[in-house]
Amino acid sequence: MEIFETVNWSLLAPILVIQAILLIVALVDLIKIEKTNGPKWIWAIVILLINIIGPILYFVVGRRNH
Amino acid sequence: MNQWITLLNKEFLEMARNYKWIWVPLTFILLGVMDPLTTYYMPQIIDSVGGLPEGAVIDIPEPSAKEVFIMSLGEYQTIGILIIVLSMMGTIAGERKSGVAQLILVKPVSYISYITSKWTAALTLVVISLFLGFLASWYYTGVLFEFIPFGSFMAAFGLYALWIALVLTLVVFTSATLKHPGAAGMVTLVTVFVFNMLGSYFSHLLEWSPTKLLPYASEMLVSDKWPEHAWPATGMASILIILVLALTVIIFKRKELAD
Amino acid sequence: MALVRVENLVKSFKDLKVIKGLNFELEPGKCIALIGANGAGKTTTLKMLSGLLEPTHGSIHFEGENKDADHRRLIGYLPQHPVFYEWMTAREFLEYAGKLSGLNSREAKERSNELLELVGIDDAKNRRIGKFSGGMKQRLGIAQAIIHRPKLIMLDEPVSALDPFGRREVLELLEKLKQEATVLFSTHILNDAEEVCESILFLHDGEIIESGTMDQFREKYQQSKIDLVFQGRANDYLKSLNNDPKVISIKIEGNKASVFTSDIEEVKSTILNKAVKENWPLFKYEISSISLEDVFMKVVQK
Repeated sequence: MEIFETVNWSLLAPILVIQAILLIVALVDLIKIEKTNGPKWIWAIVILLINIIGPILYFVVGRRNH
Repeated sequence: MNQWITLLNKEFLEMARNYKWIWVPLTFILLGVMDPLTTYYMPQIIDSVGGLPEGAVIDIPEPSAKEVFIMSLGEYQTIGILIIVLSMMGTIAGERKSGVAQLILVKPVSYISYITSKWTAALTLVVISLFLGFLASWYYTGVLFEFIPFGSFMAAFGLYALWIALVLTLVVFTSATLKHPGAAGMVTLVTVFVFNMLGSYFSHLLEWSPTKLLPYASEMLVSDKWPEHAWPATGMASILIILVLALTVIIFKRKELAD
Repeated sequence: MALVRVENLVKSFKDLKVIKGLNFELEPGKCIALIGANGAGKTTTLKMLSGLLEPTHGSIHFEGENKDADHRRLIGYLPQHPVFYEWMTAREFLEYAGKLSGLNSREAKERSNELLELVGIDDAKNRRIGKFSGGMKQRLGIAQAIIHRPKLIMLDEPVSALDPFGRREVLELLEKLKQEATVLFSTHILNDAEEVCESILFLHDGEIIESGTMDQFREKYQQSKIDLVFQGRANDYLKSLNNDPKVISIKIEGNKASVFTSDIEEVKSTILNKAVKENWPLFKYEISSISLEDVFMKVVQK
């Protein structure tokens, strides 16, 4: 696709890295955590399938503190 | 003082254990780079989803760097505040609801230290995250459009960070005085919304209102000049922060912590 | 001089008076059980003593302390269902509690290690509290309550939620704590109180209806019962027992009788002697003791 040739990769790469970090940290946390708000497997799907927003959504809403 | 440091360290450790130190800054950075990127690549994005229908003319004037950066401010004003409120609303209410506050407050802990340590920890995280986000937005805007003078950028950040600090102080207040974290979050969001409405409705009358800090930050970027009423507004915001914190401690002291 | 003197302590929630004027003193170095059925006001009382609840009226005075002084450093408190920061390890939490109570880092560390061993969770000290069982949390709760060597240790139902093993261990722990401080613990199980405490405060419906040493209480309430069944009217034989000072009461129904006494040994031999001497036509002779638990029920229902 044309879009891949025109973009500035040095600007896009950091975004992809951030996205990957959020995804991995969210998954690691989900595996270690005892309980979440709502079923764990739903959060696994949310984290994996919703790009960028999924992991953030998990941290803000899904994670149960204390 | 030692006790305050102990309480503060606990807050920082908790933020590390629940990954707040990772995800809050990263999210704020994403919020910052979103607008410069999508604005710049808008034509390609439109193309890649199939282009415009035959006959339609692309007539989007290329926005200026300042306009793009001000769009980023708007992201923090909406999504940023939402994230801050949702992630901090349980800071005290959550501890009371779960019951752990009973163990802590039965120790000879000063209520002032308990409240201010939480406030300091949350403020540290949020201000650092906000700064990183601003910096990212500034850099991306600079590379893709045009660099904004760093002085104006820093002044705009200072003005906006003060507003965010006030919002955060409100979260600490509601979290200390309401028992349910959700209620604390809701009340904070409604309060911020109502004040913003009032502030913009009476904007000609309330030049010193802290809700004007965002418009002043934008003004600073556009004109590269410190806005005329920015000082009264920052003074007002600082006084409010101190007053709300004091009120938080006073109410929290009286509030019965057991149930 | 009492360690704590409580005068006319009252607590109302809105219009509901939950605690209706308590007066008592806690002697230093004693173990005092706060006994009462669920809803009697035990937790409310302990919370007021610990400063978590503000009394509606009345005063709580600690020996040698100013009336309005913050006396939290003098007390250790374990709520009925202790909740911790689940993301902390046991050792971290203890050190945190110690530092909040005024210990410096080194003291907090040493004392934590000491207590982890004392309460028997030393091998789990680096595990996250979120993974702890109920019994382990209870022990950690005791450890955090005593980390700053308080003069008064208050425990709210420390054993009710535990299985028999855990219960035994915690009771033994309380036995050890008694040597260091005054222990006040609430329970609705009289046997637990009996095991470790020498004094009791009997709370019913927000009032103290009985207090004193365990021995006094036992003497006053503990009774035994001798059931007798005669061939013929019981009354004919038992008349003479009415004058016996050791006999509390006699209940007679036709040929059946129950003799209540606080001194089973003596009354037992009196009756047996009479039965032999007077040649009673006895069908049945049965001794049963009334447990303190039954007494507790009796007192509560009064």
